[in-house]
Amino acid sequence: MDFHKMSAIEIAEGVKTGRWSASEVLAIHLDRIKKIDKRINATVTLSEESAIKAANETDKAVREGIDPGPLAGVPFMVKDNFCTEGIKTTCCSRTLADWVPDYDATSVKKMKEAGAVLIGKTNMDEFAMGSTTESSFFGPTLNPRDLTRVPGGSSGGSAAAVAAGYCPIALGSDTGGSVRQPSAFCGVHGMKPSYGQISRFGVVAYASSLDQVGPITRDIKDIAAVMDVLAGPDENDSTCSSYGRPSFSSRLPDGLKGKKVAVLGGYDTGLVDPALIGAVEKAAKYCVSEGAEIGETILPVATKHSAACYYMIAWGDASSKLACYDGIRYGHHEDGENLFDMYKKSRTGGFGEEVRKRILIGTCILSRGFYEDYYVPATKVRRIMADEFARLFESFDALICPVSPFLPTKAGMPEDNPARVRLGDALSSLANLAGVPSISLNVGFTKEGLPLNIQLIGPRFGDTGLLSIAFALEKVNGRPPVAKIDEEGGVR
Amino acid sequence: MSREIVIGLEIHLQLKTKTKLFCGCSTDYIGAVPNTNVCPVCLAVPGTLPLLNDRAVELAVRMGLGLDCSINDNTRFHRKHYFYADLPKAYQITQYEYPIAVGGHVDISAGGKEKRIRVHHLHLEEDAGKLVHPTADGRLTGASYSLVDYNRGGMPLSEIVSEPDMSSAEEAIAYITQIRQLARYLDVSDGEMESGSLRVDVNVSLKNSDGSLGTRVEIKNVNSLRSIERALEFEVSRQNRVLDEGGALVRETRLWDDAAGVTRSMRGKEGERDYRYYTEMDLAPISAGPDYVEAIRKGLPEMPWEKRERFIKQYSLSPEEGLRLTELKEVADYFEVCAEGGASPSRCANWILMEVQRVLRETDTDISVFSVAASELGELLLKVENKDISNTQAKDILSLMAEKKISLDKAIQSSETAIGRITGPDLEVIVRKIIESEKDAVEAIRSGKDKKGSKAKFLCGLVMRETRGSADPAEVASMVGSLAG
Repeated sequence: MDFHKMSAIEIAEGVKTGRWSASEVLAIHLDRIKKIDKRINATVTLSEESAIKAANETDKAVREGIDPGPLAGVPFMVKDNFCTEGIKTTCCSRTLADWVPDYDATSVKKMKEAGAVLIGKTNMDEFAMGSTTESSFFGPTLNPRDLTRVPGGSSGGSAAAVAAGYCPIALGSDTGGSVRQPSAFCGVHGMKPSYGQISRFGVVAYASSLDQVGPITRDIKDIAAVMDVLAGPDENDSTCSSYGRPSFSSRLPDGLKGKKVAVLGGYDTGLVDPALIGAVEKAAKYCVSEGAEIGETILPVATKHSAACYYMIAWGDASSKLACYDGIRYGHHEDGENLFDMYKKSRTGGFGEEVRKRILIGTCILSRGFYEDYYVPATKVRRIMADEFARLFESFDALICPVSPFLPTKAGMPEDNPARVRLGDALSSLANLAGVPSISLNVGFTKEGLPLNIQLIGPRFGDTGLLSIAFALEKVNGRPPVAKIDEEGGVR
Repeated sequence: MSREIVIGLEIHLQLKTKTKLFCGCSTDYIGAVPNTNVCPVCLAVPGTLPLLNDRAVELAVRMGLGLDCSINDNTRFHRKHYFYADLPKAYQITQYEYPIAVGGHVDISAGGKEKRIRVHHLHLEEDAGKLVHPTADGRLTGASYSLVDYNRGGMPLSEIVSEPDMSSAEEAIAYITQIRQLARYLDVSDGEMESGSLRVDVNVSLKNSDGSLGTRVEIKNVNSLRSIERALEFEVSRQNRVLDEGGALVRETRLWDDAAGVTRSMRGKEGERDYRYYTEMDLAPISAGPDYVEAIRKGLPEMPWEKRERFIKQYSLSPEEGLRLTELKEVADYFEVCAEGGASPSRCANWILMEVQRVLRETDTDISVFSVAASELGELLLKVENKDISNTQAKDILSLMAEKKISLDKAIQSSETAIGRITGPDLEVIVRKIIESEKDAVEAIRSGKDKKGSKAKFLCGLVMRETRGSADPAEVASMVGSLAG
């Protein structure tokens, strides 16, 4: 059976009713990974043994009439910055190349409790810093839709895994677009919930005030199902809100009728690939045909300053959160002549170039003489951005814009137009800075088979409403298919 | 030349919570095997987040209110960045702007004068771990490696920063003593320098001839009040000497070397270091609003100075007695329970400050675990007042109760002296015994040589001592007269 083409809900349904077993579902997925991952390189660690054990336990529960959970038997993978008990968690860095945590991240724990089966850890840009997954210590991941191109980043491995049919659900982390952009590049759906929606406990930090856990799937119903499992307060994370979440899945059919959707303007659309502009327009038209109102809007401060604001805040925070890697209690260690020499050697030896660059610049941003001129204004701009969004959502239910101004780039050849890069960073970090939810929705493919995603942004803690709009818009092109990859590595 | 001294103090109090400031590890770490009182959070394991201990906030507010500070409901935490082996996150979570309490004061008495020392602020912060250097003197110099113990890392501290209002070691000591007393009264901290629950950093400078503040030097590693005195003496003399010789002082941190009796330069004063302070984003904002603060204020116990005034008035005590009885809350409470027993407050005060202290010293006990209940002491003292027991006998009974940990009744029963007056035949036994053993004196009396009666008095004294003061002196004199004469 083509389990690897099913949605998570379909798989779980079959497992719960005894139509098929978790073990056979798992076997198909493991087989696929082993056959094609040598081409894709999305997997850092395959945790086969523990997965088989978990699947067997699920099957046993079903046989004994015990409720196996809403995601029973669903294979899932997590980005390698999610702590997984007994399984290496490397952040794709030499610093943590051999580190094995003795605890599960809250989101991993909740997925397991829901009956999902963890099959492995996925590739990422080192310490989540990057947008192509090329800075991974374990080498790059290739895009399952086109093996000459990058899968995006930093959650490139997770997005590729879902696109390639390794699992119907993968978790990533999104600090400035790191779930949504690779989802767009790989032609799957990805969501960054509102900040404070899902616990960050156990996700190795990049930037405390921006990081959020995000699900990646091929079906919006699966995104909602994961939100139902993961969203909720956590005693281990005091930034995770304790507000009473509704059922995300049950509100999906709310639909577009009577909704007001804004299309973002006020930026140079000439920098955006026409196919991606087309995708936004197609989505807008569909909204109208389904009974929604469309309007135009601009977010002057956000559009102009989002990228710079993101660099200041994210890189400043990164320099702080990565300071604990000193090689004393864990991580890459190199002896030195004295304490500071040891720090220098261990950290230089452990971190790759991009990470070192961001730490150095971030340290500078927080330093005397720079902090007042760079970091403090960024925090003020951030508040203004949040206000801009709040005002927007007084009149609209959602905002549509591109996820990325360009289609997936060729491996080793990043986008070199600085204006396009800045626009890309701006569009992907808007939602992180304002703390609002954002979905990267696949709405089709180009003639060449490259994916076309749009970005849907909603009001803070309006994740439910946003998901229902995404659910409606998914019908524009239907659920994205699993990428066709033969064992020789050819695509499509 | 002797210039005017300016002293400011930073006092770190370890808060009496059950668990650390940002994780569930126990605060009872003294004596624990190194690195066993730790968890992923206080070890800064990747992916972990700090979780604020609400009780620590409560205790900080209590202390702030005791210092007459205003409580900041806009308070938040910041990260203070530096790299050192005892700091796992490479930043300390502390408070930089908007500390929890600001603008208070402490009233001290030093050099016979009353003085108000202003408190700049009180803030919360986490403690660092401990470094152990395997050298003969335990110092860093010459060590080829050091060991780090994270047991103490994350312990909750409240740092109290004074204004530079003190001008002598005496005032500094008085201030520290007052802070410690307040902390113990409020049950906020044990405030003990020996065990490290109270630590002091001293800032001292000398005023310039034009009255402006001189270069400030910070002194660290002063671990006792005596060290603070000696360090201040040394440092003031050092600074005076440098200035007298026309030199310039460096704004720096110096370590006190207790064995050598000197301060040594350590590094540039931390004010020059860039700690890259910014808001701690892993913690939700703290709410210390007016209602919360009011509730804590209502629950505050009587302040030491309030109790002192009340004792003087209510119990007609002298100012000295009032001061000494209220020094420790446990002693003050003990006194009040004792005084309920009916004996005069003055007698109770006297006994507690003299006899009880003596017995506590002899049995190496603390009054909080004293086996003699305050109510029992009250009973005992009432008996003395009613002349059922003599003062001397009562002292014996107290010692007995403390040593053998028995009740008042048992002590009275098993005491070797009879209670009540020793009289008649019982007294005669004792008089005869004394007469037997003091043949010379008796001879003098019998031969008429004791004209002034001093030998007779001497014999009476011996008898009284033998009866532990419980005989009637008149009866003794009469009996000695008839039996010895």
